[in-house]
Amino acid sequence: MKRRDALKLIAGAAAVPALYSHDLFALGREIHQQLGSTAALKTLNPHQNATVIAISEMIIPATDTPGAKAARVNEFIDLILTDWCMGEDCQRFLQGLEETNERSRKMFGREFVNCSAQQQTQLLTALDEELTELREASGEEREHASPAVQETETPVQRNFFYMMKRLTLIGYYTSEIGWTQELGRPPVHMGPYQACVPLTEPGKTNAS
Amino acid sequence: MPANTYDAIVVGSGMTGGWAAKELGEKGLNTLVLEAGRSIDPAKDYCEHVPAWGVKFRGLTDRRQELKTQPIQRTCYACDEWAAKFFVNDLENPYTTPPDKPFSYIRGRHVGGRSIMWGRQTYRWSDLDFEANAREGIGVDWPIRYADIAPWYDYVEEFAGISGQAEGLPQLPDGRFLPAMQMNCAELAVKNAIAKHWPGERMMTIGRCAVLTRPHKGRMACHYCGACHRGCMSRAYFSSLNATLPAALATNKVTLRPYSIVHGLDYDDSTRRVTGVRVIDTQTRQTTEYRAKVIFLCASTLESARILLLSSTPQFPNGLANSSGELGHNLMDHVTGSGASGMMPGYEDKIDVGDRPNGIYIPRFRNVKTKSQFLRGYGYQGGAGRSDWERGVSLAGFGAEFKRSMKNPGPWYFDMGSFSECLPVHNNYVELDRSRTDAWGVPVLKINCAYGPNEKMLLQDAAIAAAEMLAAAGARDIQTFVEADAPGLAIHEMGTARMGHDPKTSVLNAHNQAHDIKNLFVTDGACMASSSCVNPSITYMALTARACHYAVEQMKRGEI
Repeated sequence: MKRRDALKLIAGAAAVPALYSHDLFALGREIHQQLGSTAALKTLNPHQNATVIAISEMIIPATDTPGAKAARVNEFIDLILTDWCMGEDCQRFLQGLEETNERSRKMFGREFVNCSAQQQTQLLTALDEELTELREASGEEREHASPAVQETETPVQRNFFYMMKRLTLIGYYTSEIGWTQELGRPPVHMGPYQACVPLTEPGKTNAS
Repeated sequence: MPANTYDAIVVGSGMTGGWAAKELGEKGLNTLVLEAGRSIDPAKDYCEHVPAWGVKFRGLTDRRQELKTQPIQRTCYACDEWAAKFFVNDLENPYTTPPDKPFSYIRGRHVGGRSIMWGRQTYRWSDLDFEANAREGIGVDWPIRYADIAPWYDYVEEFAGISGQAEGLPQLPDGRFLPAMQMNCAELAVKNAIAKHWPGERMMTIGRCAVLTRPHKGRMACHYCGACHRGCMSRAYFSSLNATLPAALATNKVTLRPYSIVHGLDYDDSTRRVTGVRVIDTQTRQTTEYRAKVIFLCASTLESARILLLSSTPQFPNGLANSSGELGHNLMDHVTGSGASGMMPGYEDKIDVGDRPNGIYIPRFRNVKTKSQFLRGYGYQGGAGRSDWERGVSLAGFGAEFKRSMKNPGPWYFDMGSFSECLPVHNNYVELDRSRTDAWGVPVLKINCAYGPNEKMLLQDAAIAAAEMLAAAGARDIQTFVEADAPGLAIHEMGTARMGHDPKTSVLNAHNQAHDIKNLFVTDGACMASSSCVNPSITYMALTARACHYAVEQMKRGEI
């Protein structure tokens, strides 16, 4: 069960039995508010922050549900860079941001954030394709392992777009917006275990 | 009664300490339970309902802090961002090992001990296990057989509440089960394939676990939020804090004293009895003595051994109750780190709803009806689930279409990992390392433990057999893994004060009573003379309840 439990960790099992957990919920809210109130970023400068917001919103855009920007993925990434990354990871990420802007200047004569949507998509598509090539060249398996286990040992794991996309997905789907609005799930499952039920509409089954 | 004097002292408040407290209290003994760690307040400390966005790093853990203060604990799957507080600070609780023999010592020091974070898997031993040492001439013969412990399995299961499916297997006796949890469709496919390909030999059943599938003795049924190791306000899973300690305290005979490290027992050679325990109060750092007529060590396999080693006297220079020289020896854990995983095609239109805190179990089939080149066997735990948005990290694409595709779950995967039996070996042992002390000045343990050739053969065989079964079930992209975890990481450490017939070769008798000292009992994992391949906690519980009843009878007869 260890591997599965590791998966669950990031899937964020959680819920609130109305009977007991007013306090527990309050704790979650409180921490959330604390996070919300620390709008002052500690690592990303305003320009880097704008670039992170732009790229993360392109990875997970607002559709019929809010996207990465509304889920404040940039603040999560800033936290990870400030208090979580080890060794050269933070520097490597910031350098990747800068290289993205360099390419943008070379290709379109302006910073990434000032490009048109079409230009931005063109550049990100290139980054995504390069990552795919890197993945194929290095023969790295497609993992279904938990992204919570962050290693930066392989060429893929050191790739800027890999890091950016990984942090965007974690930041988004572990946010209240990503979990409840986009995936349509309750904060915590409260009810019987249903072993095998039809999957009808995306996201709807788990919201039952 | 004079101050600090009790009928019984129980050292430890976890899986077995909770049972000793309950049984001794219910029998009317004034009982003091000493817990080395802090109190746990479920209303404040349990956090199973805090969502990912309620913790600072969203489940990625406070890595920098953990690398400093919990570098060993963090290797345990349950030591996540929520539950890390239930695991010890490694700096305050050091131990040593030889450089070439790593040991992962995973611990909780608080009221409830590791029963708060345990995996809840619950399997009875059979005579295949109890007779193995005698049959093969390994270690010492168990002084009990299944018939001796069966009524006590009934007794503790009845109270704890165990869900499971009766299967009538001789090597895995059925218990008193609450309704079984269900398998999902990918699991059913594997179960059916195994039954078809290995009839009468291999089979798969739903995990037997100490989680309530219906209300039971004042505790609520599970509502499948899934994160048991973070606590359970419903008290749906068994822990001492959720079940035995409340029952013990309800007798009004039991006093629970947290923040109390027992660092030695007092022994009176004229009566050949232990008279009390020496305690360091971790808050005041003052030492106190408590006295009792009978002492139960339930401090965990390694801590109980450590306490006895720390309690040497002129009569017992190598550790109290150690005339056999076996104290600290024959340390075992279950061998983990091998198994297989694969993608299960099909069932794309099906999903399971809820986080079932339990998996599947494939009982031992080696050396049951057939004979292998190695001794003993292994069982598998695992299960199937659909991959979720995490898979997006390794997929190409971005944007609205990518986001939409993440909304649906990915393919079904089936993972299975083996738990192999470890043979008792004299040379796997713990000793005091007087060159180092813990944060309270108590000498630490040096743990000398490594797996031998039989364990390595089991590990190899388990990976291959796992892949065979997945292949039979039509799995794709099957990957085997065969890399033994360091001993300790299965968190089933046992041995160190084994039971046996002969005082010359064992520490405890058939009732967990020290051969050398009548009023001293050790009922945690230290007592085990072999390891079986099944999760051991329910066996510790049954042995504890049995030993308590024996001790009370002996006290009534004036024998103790």
